Amino acid sequence: MKNESFDVVVVGGGPGGSTAATLVARRGHRVLLLEKETFPRYQIGESLLPATVHGICRLLGVEEEMERAAFTRKRGGSFRWGTNPVPWNFLFALSPEISGPTSYAYQVERMKFDEILLRNAAAKGVEVRENAAVGEVVEDGGQVTGVRYTDADGEVHEVSARYVIDASGNRTRISAAVGGERVYSEHFRNLALFGYFEGGGRLPAPDAGNILCAAFDEGWIWYIPLSDTLTSVGAVISATRAQEIQGDQAAREKALRGFLDRCEIVRDLLGPDAARVTEGTYGELRVRKDYSYANTRFWRPGMALVGDAACFIDPVFSTGVHLATYAGLLAARAVNSVLGGELDEERAFGEFEGRYRREYKVFYEFLSSFYDMQGNEDGYFWKAKKVTAFDTTAMEAFVTLVGGVASGETALTAPAEMVDRFGASARSLSEAVEATGDMTTASGERMNHLFGVPVVGDVMHEMNEIQRRGVLGSATREAPLLPGGLVPTADGLGWTEPA
Amino acid sequence: MERTPLTADRVRADVADVLSVPPGELDEDLRLIDQGMDSIRMMTLVERWRADGADVTFVDLAEGPTVAEWVALLGR
Repeated sequence: MKNESFDVVVVGGGPGGSTAATLVARRGHRVLLLEKETFPRYQIGESLLPATVHGICRLLGVEEEMERAAFTRKRGGSFRWGTNPVPWNFLFALSPEISGPTSYAYQVERMKFDEILLRNAAAKGVEVRENAAVGEVVEDGGQVTGVRYTDADGEVHEVSARYVIDASGNRTRISAAVGGERVYSEHFRNLALFGYFEGGGRLPAPDAGNILCAAFDEGWIWYIPLSDTLTSVGAVISATRAQEIQGDQAAREKALRGFLDRCEIVRDLLGPDAARVTEGTYGELRVRKDYSYANTRFWRPGMALVGDAACFIDPVFSTGVHLATYAGLLAARAVNSVLGGELDEERAFGEFEGRYRREYKVFYEFLSSFYDMQGNEDGYFWKAKKVTAFDTTAMEAFVTLVGGVASGETALTAPAEMVDRFGASARSLSEAVEATGDMTTASGERMNHLFGVPVVGDVMHEMNEIQRRGVLGSATREAPLLPGGLVPTADGLGWTEPA
Repeated sequence: MERTPLTADRVRADVADVLSVPPGELDEDLRLIDQGMDSIRMMTLVERWRADGADVTFVDLAEGPTVAEWVALLGR
């Protein structure tokens, strides 16, 4: 068995892993990234947010590659959701007048996007090895000290490292090593059934590049324009219907066609001439569990979890890549601060976990409020997601889900208060959507009502800070986000005590 | 949060700073959007002013994007 040593081993070459690896290497540390597949490879989660495109991608130094890839530009999301039968927009710019260099994002083919980030990691000094499957971590005296992996020839290697970052996704084999457990949301146990179409229609300009999320009785459907002609289409439905969609391709085809037929706006937009792609990478109809979950621990001495290995939230806001790359940034800052001798591990990783959990929690509250808007509609899928239907047990489960074991909030927040707060968030979101109005109107171009909703402000805070840093660089000054917490260093790659 | 009023000079100086112009060159009543203001610079001002105790949001600033209106808003 070969034995090597690095400062950091990152497991998984998706956006979370590539981000963490690159940002640690940028501080001059020796980083090994182990990816079990060979890139490019298929992945779902195609709609990005501005924080990733204008914040993370600039920190990583891939702006030019992103421009060259000519991904579809989205200026926001269009939603057929809630009481309004006409779609409404959630745009990244506050208004047509008050926008900025970060008021758009991209729809990406993940085969292309993930490869850009992985090759960039290698270009920035990360040792990248594909076809390298990590089977277990190595521990010594309460500390994770490395990993064992198997290469393409079946040879087992052991690598020692000061830190192991697990970014190996939803089906991670090593996340349990941090301790704790994966806690699932009771209300967001959904399944997604998805495929690709050529020749589907587009929303009218300037919304042609937007993601469309359309609710119907049995769930909701995403409609993502990946190019002028290629569209990613997926139905998110209750996990109780697993039997209908988990059969062979013919059964999946029948189920998907049924969902599309019963979701009027998507059926009409797709149009009679759109053809489902039936060959190549995009030719398969895939099923994935879209269960929302979070691990009760995100780190232990020598190890941290990033991306789907740590937590996942329902895909309706396109948060997958954001949460993963945000966590990659937070973890890199913690690792850099400890390796540089500037902070002790508890302090640096406490900030990592605190911010990561906060981000998860505010998105979860937004998600609950968002689903609640549609909760007066008929159908089991929606009734089960009404905030006011959350009982004490459900709320206690929620507190565990978002609080983890480190948070003091578990003891402080009574479930009844939580129900009230979620109910209030749901109402104010619903009012803001009503005040904003249809997508093609003057009011529908103005996000002042939506951005003014407290839970929306909460979810946008850190994303805005990352975009600001991406644009302004080391001139960015940030206040501590958490009480008694740390702030980023001037280069954005570490944590430091506030001045 | 306790609300701390900001002086007119402070507001002018900060706005001029994010726009990289001398404070004297700002037109008090001309929309700041027409003087180079964008969403990123506004976020920066919100962060800076909130850190010093102002109870102001991005949406508040966007409602009346002129120096005169911001002075009135933050001076309360």
